[in-house]
Amino acid sequence: MSAAPSRLHPRPAPRDHVAVPARSRIALPGLLGLVIACLFTVLAGLNLLPLFWGVLTSLKSQPDLFRTPPVLLNFVPTAENYQRVIDSGFLGNIRVSVFYCVVTVAGVLVLALPAAYAFDRFDFPLRRALFMLVVASIPLSLGAAALLIPNYLYFTRLGLTNAWFTLPLIYTAYQLPMAIWIVKGSLESIPRELDEAAIIDGASHFQILTRVMLPLTRPALGAAGVLTFVACWNEFVAGSVMIDTPDLRPIQPAIYNFIGYFGREWGPLTASATLAILPILIAFALLSRLIVSGLTKGSVKG
Amino acid sequence: MTMYSRLTGVNYVLPAMALLMLVLFSPVLYGFWFSLFRIQYGAPTDFAGLENYARLLDDTELGATLERSALFTCCAVALTLVIALALAVWINRLGQRLGFVVQMIVILPWIISTVVATLLFRWVFVSDIGLAGSLVRMAGIPDVQLLNNPGSAMALLIGVSVWKRVGYAVIILLAGLKGIPDDYEEAAKIDGANPWQIFWLIVLPLLKTPLLLVTIVLTLSNLNTVETPLVLTGGGPGDATRILPIEVFDRAFVTFDLGSATALALVMFAGNILLVLAYVRLAKWKT
Amino acid sequence: MMQRRQLLNTLAAFGCVLASTLIPQAPASAQTKTIRMWTFLSATGTTPREVALAQIIKNYEAANPGTKIVVETQVWDQMTPKFLAAHRAGNAPDISWVVTDFLGDAIGSGSLADLNELFIRKWPAEQVKDHASAYWDLTKKGDKQYAMFASPNYISIVYRADLLKAAGIDPASIKTWDDLRAAAEKLTVKNAAGQVTRYGYAQGFSEQQADPHMMIPYLLGEGEQLFKPNGKANFASPSGVAGMTFATDLIKKYQVSPSQSATWTVDDLFEQFSSDRVAMIQGPSVRVSSLQAKLGKENVGQMLWPGNGKTAHSPAVMAGWAVGVWSKGPNKEEAGRFVDYFLGAESEKIWVTVGGQSPLMASTAKAVASFVDQPGNGYIRVAGEGASKYGWLTPIEFNVGGYRQALNKATQRILVDGVAVKAALEEAETRFNRQNNR
Repeated sequence: MSAAPSRLHPRPAPRDHVAVPARSRIALPGLLGLVIACLFTVLAGLNLLPLFWGVLTSLKSQPDLFRTPPVLLNFVPTAENYQRVIDSGFLGNIRVSVFYCVVTVAGVLVLALPAAYAFDRFDFPLRRALFMLVVASIPLSLGAAALLIPNYLYFTRLGLTNAWFTLPLIYTAYQLPMAIWIVKGSLESIPRELDEAAIIDGASHFQILTRVMLPLTRPALGAAGVLTFVACWNEFVAGSVMIDTPDLRPIQPAIYNFIGYFGREWGPLTASATLAILPILIAFALLSRLIVSGLTKGSVKG
Repeated sequence: MTMYSRLTGVNYVLPAMALLMLVLFSPVLYGFWFSLFRIQYGAPTDFAGLENYARLLDDTELGATLERSALFTCCAVALTLVIALALAVWINRLGQRLGFVVQMIVILPWIISTVVATLLFRWVFVSDIGLAGSLVRMAGIPDVQLLNNPGSAMALLIGVSVWKRVGYAVIILLAGLKGIPDDYEEAAKIDGANPWQIFWLIVLPLLKTPLLLVTIVLTLSNLNTVETPLVLTGGGPGDATRILPIEVFDRAFVTFDLGSATALALVMFAGNILLVLAYVRLAKWKT
Repeated sequence: MMQRRQLLNTLAAFGCVLASTLIPQAPASAQTKTIRMWTFLSATGTTPREVALAQIIKNYEAANPGTKIVVETQVWDQMTPKFLAAHRAGNAPDISWVVTDFLGDAIGSGSLADLNELFIRKWPAEQVKDHASAYWDLTKKGDKQYAMFASPNYISIVYRADLLKAAGIDPASIKTWDDLRAAAEKLTVKNAAGQVTRYGYAQGFSEQQADPHMMIPYLLGEGEQLFKPNGKANFASPSGVAGMTFATDLIKKYQVSPSQSATWTVDDLFEQFSSDRVAMIQGPSVRVSSLQAKLGKENVGQMLWPGNGKTAHSPAVMAGWAVGVWSKGPNKEEAGRFVDYFLGAESEKIWVTVGGQSPLMASTAKAVASFVDQPGNGYIRVAGEGASKYGWLTPIEFNVGGYRQALNKATQRILVDGVAVKAALEEAETRFNRQNNR
């Protein structure tokens, strides 16, 4: 899996040519390896216990939730929490969220590739300044919660709130800067000789973009896509503020609904959260090979 | 760098820049305009110039909040980076199947929404009626009240932030590691380098770009996180874990002082952007 | 390589199919008139109040075929600020629920229509009288009625009836603050190792999700006020200091209340109560029904705050949600007609019997008397009696946002940092005044 793509990407020639065993990786001192393995055991406990507890909680009925001492397995599992979550229309929220994520991922990739291509291969006025602007706009999406009310006023004035395209539009803008960065990094490692050869063959820039760059940056695009998907799936603030219509609500506000004014309802809360991570786990299991090889070919090379 | 005609390049960048202009930049400009007014009942009334900003300067406690934010962010980012780097190097050495399983376990807190993840962590590990708390009590050990001591509350906040984001950092760094050709390392070995030298002199420099990306994203997300401290500590005890995002949140939604909330948010934005530029400059990163 | 391309193509195709089938459909609006309402309840939810909400809407729509009520569920803590922004932007819903703390802002901004003009003026005089309460007066300004309460809340002491009975304590016998402390001492249980396994009384003191501090009933009972007429804080009065001292001594001196509560949120408090860790808590009437669902209907009750010898009971903080019609909405008439029904006599019976709320109208209180007499429903009467005789609503002439947080932080400072009571309260006053620009 790691050997095949390298044929397409000529790498800088290593200083010595030696036969490399396929599995050989960076060696660590033995003791340190042991320390890290211990560290991981602790981390695994910290990561798995809350998840395990959350899933257990989602199967408990109300009276079992807060027994002293907490009950681990000696309770009668029930599907009532899942029933409640589904009855409240949660599958509809999942459907809408999947739609938002798919559109956003598509939008981000369609916009990021040409932009990254231009930033890497072309010269035009303000190129450097514009690229720095893109990099500097990463915080704008991470800290946007603070400007909730002005943002809401602004988007409402433009008539951009509460429509099917509202969240895809906002999410695309949030994730675009990071995606441009990742894809541009990938393009940097593609030798310019390929472009020149294509031009001699009579290809247009657009053809180079679609026929040469697109296939070669596919892993980087996949990586950017996965990061975008996870970010959209878990976005809460814009989803709750910019949308009013129940049919357009994404899942995070729907989950938050179970931490309501009248208290947190752990049963449905954990049931909905469990349902919400399933699609993401599946997507990740399918695409994580892509993300690893994707970033490899790109941005991440020093 | 320069290869082709100017116009084509502009055309390719234009759609992306137009979208960023519409959705990211102009709301900030509008927010700045908004912050120059006196805000009453959630709406701008009279032009007030920099009055909202001046009110920030009057707040004698804001300096301490800024210091706490800086301390929190530095500790959280540094710890996340070290742990993530160690884990990434280790996972990189594991076989494909085992590596995949380990990687999925590591990213779990990252893919769960922050509010739910923090609530669950707090219930299971911190609350005295949770799993850990009950075990401690059954063992007859006096209750450990992590949230009731200013020092341990901050330590816990840092810990939870690291826990939540370490998975993201591992993914990016692991990807970077996979991109380093095996032959580099083999060559170094033949030259007689020990594993530490290989790590410091070969691996780390090659990880510069992913490290930069991870550092920037971690810094910004820790600096701007409101959910984690709000759910975990509510800023307490006293002011021990009160960091800037909570301050903004309180101004906006508790005391409904939108003028100074917006002003503070914009000052934070400016700080964020300066930080990014400083990082890029420090890393001598070519664009 | 081939495999991956296939995988990608499959994924891409899958994505396209999903996208094409998933484009959310805008709700069809033929000739029906749509009335939008913002609330934190969901019309498809399954909690008692949500069931009541759905039932009332169904009844109304059946009787008014031309009108459709669309509930747009909002995140409760952002709803009122967002409503004000939406009012400003011209995009507010026809009807919105407004939380007590922001009522002054909502009225001041001109976002709420006068309900007198819309429907109250058509009422017979006795119907107006039927609604008389502190809640009604709070939303009245001059001859205008800006909103009506939908969800009243009475915050006093919620207790475990079974535990009090086992300890031989009759809630009615807790007449003074000293009685309350004595009861808490009696209810506190230690195990063989000397660890407290159950506390007598608790309240959450986190700044997140803060409920009003118990020192407020204490100082109000002494005839003191929490705010000065100009809106400045009046926390550190002698009565205020006495109230705060009482609350913190329960933890520090008598150890009948947990020191961990310095960082408990309201939700933490309810979970502790549900796990048998506390016998009495400060709690609102609106949460009793969900506690009963966890602990058993007969096991949870609510009582009024104790008095101080001078008054029978100290006034409790009341809060809740009022419902108003957007002043610039295109469907004010229809919206008004719905609100009239939504909070009228017929619906209120549903709010009480299905939703477990305490009644606001005198006639409803009478009509549901037999329901209230059922075991476990006594809290509805307690909250009703308290609201009419021993209630206090936060003033709306000035913004009081942050007072609950300020008092809770003062408590943390006393408990964790060892600051003196008076000093901590003065600190809280300074902070509150600065935050509110006073």
